Amino acid sequence: MKSARNRSLAEIASLVVILTLIIIFFSQASPIFLTQRNLDNMLLDITTVGILAVFTTLLMIGGGLDLSVGSTVALCGVVIGALQGTWGILPAAAFAVAIGALVGLANGFLVTYVGINPLITTLGMLSIARGLAFVFSDGLTIPVFDSEGTQFDAYNTFTQFGEGQVFGIATPVFIMFVLFILGLLILQFTSYGRAMYAIGGNAQASQLAGLSVRRYRMIAYMLSGLSAGIAAVLLTSRLYAADPRAAPAMELTVITAVVLGGISLAGGKGTLIGTALGVLILTTLLNGMKLLSTSTDAQNIAQGVVLLLAVGLDQLRTRDINWTAWLRGSRLMPDGTKAIAKGD
Amino acid sequence: MLEMRHIRKSFYGVKVLDDVSINLYPGETLALLGENGAGKSTLIKILNGDYSRDAGDVILDGVPVHFAEPRDAEGAGIRMIYQELHYAPELSVAENLLLGRLPHRQGLLGWMIDWNAAREQAREALKLLNVNIDPMTKMRDLSVVEREIIEIVKALSRKARIIVMDEPTAALTPPEVQQLFGIIRDLCKQGIGIIYISHRLDEVFQIAQRVTVLRDGKHVDTRPIAEMTHKALVHMMVGRDIEERAEVRKGTAAIQLGDRLLEVQGLAKTGAFEDISFHVRAGEIVALFGLLGAGHNILTQTIFGIEKADSGNVHIGGHPVQVASPQDAKRAGIGFVPLDRKVNGLVLGMSVQKNITLSNWSTLAPFGIFRPKKEMHNTRHWVDKLGIRMAGGIETHTRYLSGGNQQKVVLARWLEANVRVLLLNEPTWGVDVGARSDIYDQLEALAAQGLAILIVSSDIEEVLTVSHRILTIYKGHLTGEFMQSEATQENLLHAAAGGTL
Ligand SMILES: Nc1ncnc2c1ncn2[C@@H]1O[C@H](COP(=O)(O)OP(=O)(O)OP(=O)(O)O)[C@@H](O)[C@H]1O
Ligand SMILES: [Mg+2]
Repeated sequence: MKSARNRSLAEIASLVVILTLIIIFFSQASPIFLTQRNLDNMLLDITTVGILAVFTTLLMIGGGLDLSVGSTVALCGVVIGALQGTWGILPAAAFAVAIGALVGLANGFLVTYVGINPLITTLGMLSIARGLAFVFSDGLTIPVFDSEGTQFDAYNTFTQFGEGQVFGIATPVFIMFVLFILGLLILQFTSYGRAMYAIGGNAQASQLAGLSVRRYRMIAYMLSGLSAGIAAVLLTSRLYAADPRAAPAMELTVITAVVLGGISLAGGKGTLIGTALGVLILTTLLNGMKLLSTSTDAQNIAQGVVLLLAVGLDQLRTRDINWTAWLRGSRLMPDGTKAIAKGD
Repeated sequence: MLEMRHIRKSFYGVKVLDDVSINLYPGETLALLGENGAGKSTLIKILNGDYSRDAGDVILDGVPVHFAEPRDAEGAGIRMIYQELHYAPELSVAENLLLGRLPHRQGLLGWMIDWNAAREQAREALKLLNVNIDPMTKMRDLSVVEREIIEIVKALSRKARIIVMDEPTAALTPPEVQQLFGIIRDLCKQGIGIIYISHRLDEVFQIAQRVTVLRDGKHVDTRPIAEMTHKALVHMMVGRDIEERAEVRKGTAAIQLGDRLLEVQGLAKTGAFEDISFHVRAGEIVALFGLLGAGHNILTQTIFGIEKADSGNVHIGGHPVQVASPQDAKRAGIGFVPLDRKVNGLVLGMSVQKNITLSNWSTLAPFGIFRPKKEMHNTRHWVDKLGIRMAGGIETHTRYLSGGNQQKVVLARWLEANVRVLLLNEPTWGVDVGARSDIYDQLEALAAQGLAILIVSSDIEEVLTVSHRILTIYKGHLTGEFMQSEATQENLLHAAAGGTL
């Protein structure tokens, strides 16, 4: 509908404005903010969040939620560190990606077939994956480089993931772009993307239309875990180390960015363009604060505030509230449906 | 007693009501008619304070009023039966009926709800329509039709001066409709004014004194019903003549029946239906007619794999099929139009196009990638054929469609899907006369192409005009089978009420 499209355009436009304001502010406040070096660094820093955000977007449009991505990144990194000696670095990396997918599959199975609430399932998985990461690493950071000098070529290749360049762009950034474009194509042109919107919009109706709701959802969770595996490979390669403490509270950053970008917690709506802007706004904000030597505590607080603001806005956007009535306590939406009897 | 003058309303720049005026006298029933999307629901929602108006006045007993929200209208004695159901699914029938005025205990325990009294009051209210529903059941456990009835009872059981009914009978069978009409006549005698919206014209002739017709958001005319004929009324609504179906049908050549495409043998589900055996041939349209709670809806749900049968089996095209889920059913070639389009049918936040093509991805998205041109082409086809109207083209979210147009979208989805057997629950729920006729044409065309179609309908006119063969069901048992030529209102109702032949 014209109006619906205008509205999402307006949302995108307002995000662009916010981003611009943040950039102007920090470029005034900090002389190094706009330097090439800082921008390059920032882009590299974004990659983990960015990659996770692409698949979190798919998942959340389908009405899912995954809080375990941060811990899964740590677990997958540790898997590389622990297996590099016996398996060789490249097989270890491939295996780590598979582990990520497996974690996602487990989430998906528990949510869709066992029927545990996604919040609880992935909160549990958050704890499990982080715990396993500590177990496999004995709580220590594992160096990941050719310590014995026997796999020179393999390590060389592995390092390329984090430090190499493709078409003049840092490999992790390049991979993020590729995944982002892939996500865009999936959402725009494939039945899988369409299924996400349909299921997130009204799972019951989708089921009755003959869609395999469970399978689609399973796959979304699996992709989310898989993306954590990919992010882990890039991160480990870039840092020459696997840290069980890696990606702390990353799920929070990802979800904040995604919701800020217009993905609804209820599912069924949003775009990857919005997500991209959400990621940029949030990471720019955090990066700028870092440059101004704000404490991490303040950054955490800022992130929390942004999350609550974004979710609050999301509520207002989806409700389409008749304000006079709302202030007087009525929860009728203007199309006459009551918020509680919502169709899903 | 009520006047709405020169009402205008636009949604996002699209005019929906353009200078519409109606008035209502005490003790009269005013029918409000018009095609799907004509603006009927919008008009009464403006009256009720759900929507604001862009221009115009609402005058109640000579005083201009402005209702900012439904609560204000309620305070002024206006009761509303919405086209869409409004209820709290987790609450009981009693709580829904008495919401906001549940009886409390006496004395010190005054803060506690008196459940015994509540149950009594609810039971009392339910007697109005003579329905047998336990006031303590949760709303979500009721059938859609029962929920509709609760909605009506809720409006009727409170003191009112004006009652507005937006398609209250869309899912009711004749006995309930007559019951409702009895109540309406009583209310009118007490001086209560009623605005009655319906697409069933015969009802309008029975109950209304005057009729106001809207077309494309404009007021066409207001007349005493006594001056009108069925044909003239349709002409006023649609702006052209529509042939009477039954006559058309008799003219067409004998239909070609093929093999038994759908065959149900000894299907049983405890508490719902028992020992159900019937078949539908390729090219045949069979109607299943039953009264409230006869088990017909749950029967189709079972065939489609939403509910599980205890015993019996289903054959499609001569082969036994195991249907454990809607996906299985669809794979076996079964399509299903559910009751309650908003909850079970539509993805409201998705466009008309995407809703229509939702069940045909195998053709429109081979290898998982959509073919946009073909998708749009097929969508346009159905939008034209069924006359789906919306304010903003096929990209409009279905949330913004009028009730009847939403229904057409759900139906179009399954006409578009490549299935061999169609199970349709109330396919024309809320659809206007013109479009209804188009839908029947489509169903006949599909049958002629060799589909087997089973229609579950509470609308006896529909059952009589569209089907080749009619089965009646009573308390979970099939009680009769009629060829179209031998079926009449009387013998269908007799069989559906459990009478033996
Ligand atoms: N909330 C809304 N936003 C945008 N458009 C709307 C909205 N509600 C209704 N419309 C549009 O207004 C027109 C009139 O709708 P309305 O619901 O009043 O029709 P109606 O006469 O009740 O039809 P029906 O018989 O199908 O119920 C339709 O074209 C519909 O698409
Ligand atoms: Mg309507």
